[in-house]
Amino acid sequence: MEKNIQKSIPGTTFSTQNGQLLTSSGVPSLDSLLEEDFHGLYSKILLKYFLAEGIVTSHSTFVASQDTNPSSIVKELPAVIDSDSEPETDVQKISGNSNKMKIAFRCQNLPTDDLSDNFKHIGHFYDLSKNILKLKMESSFLKDNPERRSLLRIGIHSLGSPMWLPHSKSVHSIDSSRDLNLFIFCLRALVRSAYAVAVITIPTHLYHEISLDRCIHSSDIAIRLQAFSGTELENNQSLSDYHGFFYLTKLAAINSLASRHPGSVEYAFKLRRKKFTIEMLHLPPDIGEDRENKKEKVPSLACGGSNNHLLEF
Amino acid sequence: MEKNGKEIRIFVVLGQTMISLADPRVSNPVLAALQVKLEDRIVSVRENGTADANFILTHLIKQILYEKNRLCLVNLHNPLQHYHNVGKKLGYDLGKALKDNAVKVVEPLSEIVSSIESEEDYLQEDKESIVKCLYFNIKKSLEELTDGDNQAYLIIDDVSHLLDLGVEVALVLDFVNYCVNLIDNDKISVVFNTHASTKTDEIICNSLQYIADVHVEVSPLKTGHSTDVTGVITVQKQSKRSQYHFKAFDRGIKTFHPGETIYHLYQ
Repeated sequence: MEKNIQKSIPGTTFSTQNGQLLTSSGVPSLDSLLEEDFHGLYSKILLKYFLAEGIVTSHSTFVASQDTNPSSIVKELPAVIDSDSEPETDVQKISGNSNKMKIAFRCQNLPTDDLSDNFKHIGHFYDLSKNILKLKMESSFLKDNPERRSLLRIGIHSLGSPMWLPHSKSVHSIDSSRDLNLFIFCLRALVRSAYAVAVITIPTHLYHEISLDRCIHSSDIAIRLQAFSGTELENNQSLSDYHGFFYLTKLAAINSLASRHPGSVEYAFKLRRKKFTIEMLHLPPDIGEDRENKKEKVPSLACGGSNNHLLEF
Repeated sequence: MEKNGKEIRIFVVLGQTMISLADPRVSNPVLAALQVKLEDRIVSVRENGTADANFILTHLIKQILYEKNRLCLVNLHNPLQHYHNVGKKLGYDLGKALKDNAVKVVEPLSEIVSSIESEEDYLQEDKESIVKCLYFNIKKSLEELTDGDNQAYLIIDDVSHLLDLGVEVALVLDFVNYCVNLIDNDKISVVFNTHASTKTDEIICNSLQYIADVHVEVSPLKTGHSTDVTGVITVQKQSKRSQYHFKAFDRGIKTFHPGETIYHLYQ
């Protein structure tokens, strides 16, 4: 869904490898685009990240939802924060004191060329506990003729949920997946012909698994989030650090022969109070259980007289 | 005679035909695995699951342009830019071929964009005229391409997207049937790419497999993702069936027989 250009657009970077324009999803550890959903909570957070990134870099942004009021999604967008690892060169260059509002305004006012220093790291860090300022948002809603070249970000929340069905068709729910296929295919055609990216979340549990395969085929990147809450994995000790699995279902090879799919690596995500992170899944070493076993063993050997030498019989 | 003698040195005699070593069918691993020849008039490419069979098409384009044949490309999945960029990596120049009128492109993908507002052309209610219109477009382009002595290839990527546009299976099959009948003209060959995910997709894939001279299937590994092997290619020619593993790199594809992965990747 990334598009080629010749002029630089703020908040994007040009990939020399395959001639694509890359943009950030708003989650620094992810930086790709997503589609697909689990029962709600986490996908909504990813969508908000994506939209907030668009607003901070003053891209045109479009939000649609039937389940909740789009304006309430917009109100809850996370605020941008400074981060240790993010080199915000342009901000430091111009203003010594950089607080979080400054960044937002700087990005808006800067001419395009000055941002080129920043291109190595695209994306910002966000604080989920704070909401972005309303003033900032109004500047980046959809305009017919933006003053300068920009990128359109489309965020569609919970597409294909029953709320999207028109009344006349709500009886024939089997047809809805065909409408969805048509919509996503047309969206693909549209997005591929313009400087635009789209993130759609779909409540997959409402569909048969097979009926979404066509949607996945029409999309460039498909991601599945599987949360632990409410499943038997919730109490699994080795997974207690994480909130769910992050499956990269599809990563298309655009303008290239090989996709960047990392292969057999598994990812998991966690949601902290302020931050949503995706990490490679590492199972912790099995130390905890060993201790418990020892404790049980010690009293049983105690009847042997000495508990200092476990191997003594 | 001397001149002929020199020429003979750079040709290798395989069976009864002479093949140049520069021929991508010899030097390129994918094309060597496919061995699509002039007499193979219908080629069907099927991608299963999340596998991407686009590299088969781009490699075939490389062969077609190398042999100075003509090409009609129908884009339903990837825009022209994609083929152009991959072409730079594989060593063919699509832009030049377009200028020379060796390649014609029918681009429903970009035409859909203009019809979104008006709900005409590809988004109209009358689904039959969508495929009719597309067929006549293709036929017109092919007529222009078959002026000379060269073989003209029709490549459709990917037929199953017609289903997404709301076209019934029967109509898609009719469309395929019409396109296949184009090979009545000896100078035309056809290549279809289809994606198989639902039952209806499979109907199209299976019927194409049935009529194809060469059937190529690209699947992901059954065991899941691997860093050494991207997927499996199955090439079926009449009764002969051969299987390869492949690994996709940014600038090319390596193929090997199952089990030979480590030998080829780590030597």
